[in-house]
Amino acid sequence: MTTLEKNIKAIKSVLSSQDILVFEFKSEAGKKFAAIYADGIADKQLLGELVVKPLRAVKPDDKLEDVKQLLASPEVKDCDKISDGIKEISDGNAVLFVDGEKDFFIIGLKCPPVRAVAEPPTQITVKGPREGFIEDVKTNLGLIRKRIKSDKLQIKTVKVGERSDTAVALVYIDGVCPDGLPEKIEKEIAANKIDIVPDSSYISQFIAKKPRSLFKRCGTCEKPDIFCAKVCEGRVGIVADGSPIALTVPYMIVEDFQSAEDYYITSYRATTLRILRLLSVIIGVILPALYISAQLFKIQIIPLQLLLKISSSVAGLALSPSVEMFLTLFVLEVLNEASIRMPKYVGLALSVVGALVLGDTAVKAGIISTPAIIIIAFSAICLYTVPNLVETTTTLRWLFLIISGSLGPFGMVLFAAFLICYLATEQDYGVPLMAPFAPLVKNDLYDSMVKANINNLKRRPEVFRSKNKVRLQSDENKR
Amino acid sequence: MKINVRQICFIMAAYTVVARLLLFPMELSNISGRDYLFSALAGFAVQTVVIWAVAYLCSRTQKTFFQLLEDTFGNIVARIIYGLFALFFMAGTLVPILEHKLYVHAIFYDTLPSLTVFLPFFFFAVFAASKGFKNIGRSADICFPLFALCFVFIMVMSFGEAKFAELLPVFKTPVTKIFGGTVAGAYRFVEPCWLLMFMGHFEYKKGDAAKITVSYAVAAALVLLFLAVLYGIYGSITPSRQFAVSKTALYFPAIDMLGRIDLLVLYVMEIVMLFWLVLNIQLAVQCISECTGYKDKFIISLAVNAVFIVLTVTLDHKFSAVQGFFASWFWIATLLFTVIFPLCAWALKKGAKR
Amino acid sequence: MKRKLTVILYWVIIIALLGLYFTNDFGIVDIHKTSIITAIGVDIENDEVLVTAEVAAPQPSQSGDNIKYTQIQGSGLNIADAMNEIKSKTGFYPRLQFCKLVLIGDSCKEHELFRVLGCLYRKNYSELTAIVAMCKGNAADMLAFKSPVTDITSESILNILSHELEKTATVSVANLKDIAMKAFSPSKACYMPYIESNQPGTSENGGNGENIGGEQGGQSGGSSGGNQAGGQGGGQGGGSGGGESGQSNSGNTGGDMQAMEFTAAKTAVFADGKFKTILQEKQAFAMNTLKNELDTISFGFDTEEKHYTFGLKSVKGGVDLKVKDGIPEVTLKFSAKAQIQGVKEKVNPAKTINDDVIPEDILKSAADELKTRYTEIMEISKTTECDFLDIKSLLYRNYYKYYEALEPVLFERLKLNFDINIGSIN
Repeated sequence: MTTLEKNIKAIKSVLSSQDILVFEFKSEAGKKFAAIYADGIADKQLLGELVVKPLRAVKPDDKLEDVKQLLASPEVKDCDKISDGIKEISDGNAVLFVDGEKDFFIIGLKCPPVRAVAEPPTQITVKGPREGFIEDVKTNLGLIRKRIKSDKLQIKTVKVGERSDTAVALVYIDGVCPDGLPEKIEKEIAANKIDIVPDSSYISQFIAKKPRSLFKRCGTCEKPDIFCAKVCEGRVGIVADGSPIALTVPYMIVEDFQSAEDYYITSYRATTLRILRLLSVIIGVILPALYISAQLFKIQIIPLQLLLKISSSVAGLALSPSVEMFLTLFVLEVLNEASIRMPKYVGLALSVVGALVLGDTAVKAGIISTPAIIIIAFSAICLYTVPNLVETTTTLRWLFLIISGSLGPFGMVLFAAFLICYLATEQDYGVPLMAPFAPLVKNDLYDSMVKANINNLKRRPEVFRSKNKVRLQSDENKR
Repeated sequence: MKINVRQICFIMAAYTVVARLLLFPMELSNISGRDYLFSALAGFAVQTVVIWAVAYLCSRTQKTFFQLLEDTFGNIVARIIYGLFALFFMAGTLVPILEHKLYVHAIFYDTLPSLTVFLPFFFFAVFAASKGFKNIGRSADICFPLFALCFVFIMVMSFGEAKFAELLPVFKTPVTKIFGGTVAGAYRFVEPCWLLMFMGHFEYKKGDAAKITVSYAVAAALVLLFLAVLYGIYGSITPSRQFAVSKTALYFPAIDMLGRIDLLVLYVMEIVMLFWLVLNIQLAVQCISECTGYKDKFIISLAVNAVFIVLTVTLDHKFSAVQGFFASWFWIATLLFTVIFPLCAWALKKGAKR
Repeated sequence: MKRKLTVILYWVIIIALLGLYFTNDFGIVDIHKTSIITAIGVDIENDEVLVTAEVAAPQPSQSGDNIKYTQIQGSGLNIADAMNEIKSKTGFYPRLQFCKLVLIGDSCKEHELFRVLGCLYRKNYSELTAIVAMCKGNAADMLAFKSPVTDITSESILNILSHELEKTATVSVANLKDIAMKAFSPSKACYMPYIESNQPGTSENGGNGENIGGEQGGQSGGSSGGNQAGGQGGGQGGGSGGGESGQSNSGNTGGDMQAMEFTAAKTAVFADGKFKTILQEKQAFAMNTLKNELDTISFGFDTEEKHYTFGLKSVKGGVDLKVKDGIPEVTLKFSAKAQIQGVKEKVNPAKTINDDVIPEDILKSAADELKTRYTEIMEISKTTECDFLDIKSLLYRNYYKYYEALEPVLFERLKLNFDINIGSIN
């Protein structure tokens, strides 16, 4: 058995799957080669152009070095361990064996199927860049590099997942990012041995100090412009292969009330929108609960004329106010879930069933009242003004509803106080979740619920304790 | 450092005011009548001086109050004194908790529900009291703006109805009654003890004593303003106005149109009130932890709150008696713990200056 | 272990809350069990308090605009008793938080005011925001009348007691708080509007101000008012007898009940908690110019030749007290800028340009008219010993050292001054 056959056998004994292809070919002078690659993720055309074609000129007595000189691929790596070769094949690269040689080459042919860079569905902007991350880590890093051309930009890659071997890249800027933070995050990620990491949300749970918390612990974004801005503030960005959602750490709740567009429009409008989002979320979370509390425990909250209208609407209903609201919210959640999962062509039917059959008919049948539907619908719309927090806010809405229906408005207030107390002390990587409000960081307030003019944002957020504090130096006379 | 001066100022400014917006005006006006402002003023004047003394002491030492006691009298005495402080904080919180129970029933529920509706407060209290100074400070960062917003809202809604001529003539109430009011309301003055407990847990910078004292003085001024507005609105029937803060904004013209928006404001302010209520329990837990050397604050918090639950259930319908007892006798403890102890702290071994 | 316990605790709490949520089983009174009272009428019959509650009873409706207003009666030794009776009869928990009007009938004139209204001042029984008014005849009948303006009687009455009308000096509005504050002030006097009902197109008060001395306290309008209202009551129990309680009659379904208009130009005054008199329109107007916060008012008076109606702007009125050398001097102040709104004569539109420049003699006539009215109300105040202008309170607040000495003899020693300044608007 020749060395070539031995090597092929060694690889095939491990990678026995049928999509691992072996392509054996000869030079014009008769020197034998074998290229092994995974079908579907390696670029066969490149293999032909950059490897097979140039190697036709190889002579039988050419050494490995001579063969390497002839390879036209810019990504050629020497290798002597079969195990490394196996990893590279799984990763999408090709292994090139040369007859009579024990060592071999790894040729960079990785070309997994990827979709084109497009505007992300969750962070649409009217003004500003429209590029979004995709599932390919290399493309995503390219999008980042395109925006940050600094020599201080550092990208550290960690492999996670015993079987998926997912590449996770930590992106940060030396001197801006707090010392030791990337290392801490790397350590946290590396400490987890898991089979597969299909999405960055796994990473967010690995690096969270309290992964069971109801509240997010990592910032998420789908747009490279936001990602880069956050990295430039001193955060560490995390891009995982296979996920279009990049993470940023440390995270503060206030981030989710800020949208990309806030930085591309006037500060007045941006501030108004941020306050609007905050109010919307508060209203979305507590409105159904407050309505129940008012009906059950304290009707005085409702103005008389409105109360009379509500009373008339709920008069004769078969269900108690609390059950009615529970049912309405339950229906909303079901419709929401179904409309996301349901194939698009069934979606129209669902709208008809949801809006007409469930809504209108239920009111006519006296099962639920019109105000309950209005309140739930408004609450649902309000919560989607901050889509990144929807997972948390919808859960909170349920909790507030149950508490208000059982303990009344005092229960709601108590729960709100509990949340404040809980969130006030929570912090990950030294940054409080409620910063810059608790603790109050005066300078950071200029880009919190308020969005000051860019000339007022000369310093990076103090809460990250960056060494390099200044981000804007401008001519004072122009200000 | 666990807490900072800004947070202490917020605590002084916000919690001092919310602690006196419920039955304090009624109690005081019952004794001192129209001159109840002077009763309150007398109490605040004494406490402001003590607060300044304690704040200034903080500039002279980096030690905590416990360390000061320990270095002067030894560990055992320090523990005993901290134990006494724990008891003082617990006792000082009893009436506010019982008062709060009544307040909750009055403003959150139309029909009187059972005691169980108030008891979930202790879930919150157990959780919050097990947290340390960092939590106290950060909570204050959130509570202060909430308080400021609500207080301004309530005052704006109340001001138009107030006729300040109702406060005339001033100083016609016998001095004994004015001071009687001060003494009877003394059990609500625990603020110097808060500062004593914060001592050594914050980094003192030049001018901080003035900031803290001014915060307290501003809070005192706000309370006096509230009392003046309340009397301006209700005049001679002020003594019958329970839970004053819920009564002042009723006559705002927009209420007819918008409904009881003042109630929504009060619900937000209730969050601040809950943190104020819990602060004393938090400090009691800290004191017990120092006193016993037991570090699991959750267990201590559980035990302290269990005591409060028992007392709340036992004294469910005995508020007047308890309040009467405190008004008559608790001034002695207040004098001891909020005036004498803090002033005596100056005599303790302060160690190196800052 | 600790984590497991925490998870178990969380689940226990959630299940307990869900249990409470779906049962609501701790005696709460929700929107279904509540009756919303928009107004109450209080009468006293045979030493029993008869409370008529105007209740909004919402009927099932998708659009939420089907409200039926009914009057339900209950009786007892006090308002609370009567309300409890209403509760036991209807099964609804009556709430007074939305009660915006408390009407007391003529029958209450003979009783102590705070015996009638007593319960409303108890701790947390009601907010003290409801407007209080005395009405001619029975309060029950008054609330049963149909209004030509709105379907809701109380709303029609409240319309004529609005803050805007108060600013025009045509009505003296007082809520429960004002009444208590005034009644327990050094003056010990309070007032409230006096509501009368007329059939549209008629006005029994046309002669306004003829009864200068006012209707004296001993005179009860109860019987006449009751008889008048009885004919209009329409319902079974809402008539003048009023003794039958527990009947209900719907304000909307009063059959051929004729619509009535309401007026509140007169004012009932009380001293020491007892009814004293009713100030007639002109007297009430004079008092309102001194006591109300004023905006733009309309003021009619006669000169030797014509009747003028002034529109007064920048109006300020008030009572000022000074004690000089132990002698109290009260100054009734009034200042305004006048414009002629109407004159009982043929109008020449070309000359209306002169309406803003009024001859001095006409202005003097206006001031004299006002002076006469002020003198009248001071006289009433003195004769009825009802200090509704709050002069004793002024003495108490501003000249406390003289208070004890002067209070019993204040009206005897009082020197009356006027400072009336009515000028042209231009």
